[in-house]
Amino acid sequence: MMSVNREPILQVKNLKTYFYTEDGVVRAVDGVSFELYPGETLGIVGESGSGKSVTSLSIMRLLDEKGKIESGEIIFKGRDLLKLPEHEMRKIRGNEIAMIFQEPMVALNPVYTIGDQIMEAIMLHQGADEKKAREMAVDLLRRVGIPEPEKRVDQYPHQLSGGMRQRAMIAMALSCRPSILIADEPTTALDVTIQAQILDLMKELQEEYGMALIMITHDMGVIAEIADRVAVMYAGHIVEYGEVHEIFKRPRHPYTYGLLSSIPRLDVEQEKLKSIPGTVPDPLNFPTGCRFHPRCEFAEDRCREEEPEMVEVLPDHYSRCFFWKKLEGLEVK
Amino acid sequence: MTAYIIRRLLLLPLILFGITLIIFGMMQLLGPDKLLAAYVDPNTFNKLSNEELEALKEKYGLNDPMVVRYAKWLNGVLHGDLGWSVVGKMPVKDALLQRIPYTAELALYAVFPVVGIGIWLGMVAAVHRDKFIDHAIRIFAVVGWSFPDFVFGLFVLMVFYSWLGWLPPGNLSLWADEIVRSPQFHHYTHILTIDSLLNGRFDIFWDDLRHLIGPIMTISWLWWAYLLRITRSSMLEVLNKEYIRTARAKGLDERVVINKHAKRNAMIPVTTVGGAMVINLFAGTVIVEVIFNRTGLGRFTASAATQLDYAAIMGSALFYSTILVLGNLIIDVLYAVIDPRIRLG
Repeated sequence: MMSVNREPILQVKNLKTYFYTEDGVVRAVDGVSFELYPGETLGIVGESGSGKSVTSLSIMRLLDEKGKIESGEIIFKGRDLLKLPEHEMRKIRGNEIAMIFQEPMVALNPVYTIGDQIMEAIMLHQGADEKKAREMAVDLLRRVGIPEPEKRVDQYPHQLSGGMRQRAMIAMALSCRPSILIADEPTTALDVTIQAQILDLMKELQEEYGMALIMITHDMGVIAEIADRVAVMYAGHIVEYGEVHEIFKRPRHPYTYGLLSSIPRLDVEQEKLKSIPGTVPDPLNFPTGCRFHPRCEFAEDRCREEEPEMVEVLPDHYSRCFFWKKLEGLEVK
Repeated sequence: MTAYIIRRLLLLPLILFGITLIIFGMMQLLGPDKLLAAYVDPNTFNKLSNEELEALKEKYGLNDPMVVRYAKWLNGVLHGDLGWSVVGKMPVKDALLQRIPYTAELALYAVFPVVGIGIWLGMVAAVHRDKFIDHAIRIFAVVGWSFPDFVFGLFVLMVFYSWLGWLPPGNLSLWADEIVRSPQFHHYTHILTIDSLLNGRFDIFWDDLRHLIGPIMTISWLWWAYLLRITRSSMLEVLNKEYIRTARAKGLDERVVINKHAKRNAMIPVTTVGGAMVINLFAGTVIVEVIFNRTGLGRFTASAATQLDYAAIMGSALFYSTILVLGNLIIDVLYAVIDPRIRLG
């Protein structure tokens, strides 16, 4: 879905979120900018520790007390969320921007029924009474494909399977018809077969509800499946940003190239699966220059000394690499 | 759930059998001579000849094998006879029945400050983690936790009795005691604070209360500090759970997040520890009863133990074990009420 001519529903501008730990300052998100257009799916992909979850928690303003949003703007429907008082922010959470989390096992409160937890948001944001909210909860459970919703609504999380719990989480997130849904690794904790079902369900519901989706994942497969555009994160930065087909076909950052090359393929003969050498850098002590340079096969002296800026390498395709041209002609197999 | 409770209750006699057998066995290690000491006035003990001592041992059955003696004791218990208490100078059963209400009253009222203040402060500390109020509460708890109850009890006596004259020791003032013992005073529940109100004697109620406050302060001092720490750490753990973030992500007010979503989960471990603590309150009254010169089960058991009054020791053990088993059963039931995973798991 091309979205150039539309107004973005959400604009994140130069977001910096730091964590003040006993060991020092962790620059978890360090100058992240992106836009989200109505109805589209933006994938944010990266290894653990790249700052993708912190980005989403910053949008919701749900960071724990050690985390602080240092600077930046998060413009949602014309308002900067970072400037809203807490009680205004509460009206947005769960109502206009909803979120689902990675582990449906632990993201639902074990001592309250599924129904109770879904009804809570409905009663809070829509002012529905208990009877009405219950009816809506049953409808939502039916909509997300939970069998016997009249019975399930009174069950506790531990009585549901992992997939069912994630469906219940989705029902909860959709209860107020949000315009943005942030899904933080919603399928990671699930079986592979269930993963596909949940992704299909999310795609379906996204179209039905017309909401924008931010899909956070470490799985390039999930991105290929669901996203329109993708932001690749590494060490607190977005290193490559653009349309999914474009980036999968013509990656212009060595990290994205590495990620795509490390996906196992059935249609291509491969002797050994390619992997990116080294590990994610210590967030307390990022490398100077380009943060990817110690792991980069194309690195030169300049990469060690100077930090690259985002450049538009192709129309609507951005990369944070000095030598993106080196990747020209290198197709991902 | 009902089946579970019944099963647990059926286990009760078996547990009591085990506990009493062990205690009975340990007391036999003393040998017949030591056991005899409980039956004889210490002043005359040395004057008795060996033959006389042997005759006494025979008379009280102290030379019988342990199994026989335990069987005799058990037979008595099953017929409602717990034996004769040398210390109480009355049947063990009467001695216990007389003292249990005093201790029960003390323990019952101590539960409120311990559980109420302990849990409340623990929650407050957790919610305001690392703020001034949290540090203040934690320092308070550490002081409470490190201060032995016998020292604190003496301190309470010194300040509130000796200096201020507000909280006298003992169970009741003399005048009140006379009224309570008179036939006009009806003992409906044997819990004096309640009976005094039912008799319309507010002066006796007030007098009883003044005698209770000091011991309650002393008992609760240590325990609420302990419960506070458990509650605080449990609450902190829960506040870090993902479902708390889910609740916040719904846009719920922080008060609802804490009071609805966090507290109930935090109470699960607190119930276990707190419950065990309440049971211990019954047993832990020995020191306060001695310091505050109160009649009660703790003090009775302590003197029975020092004077080798084995029938009284066995009787107390029987009572304490029953309380322990029933108390644990109540905790398990509460646990199931709070946590559906236990109830429906």
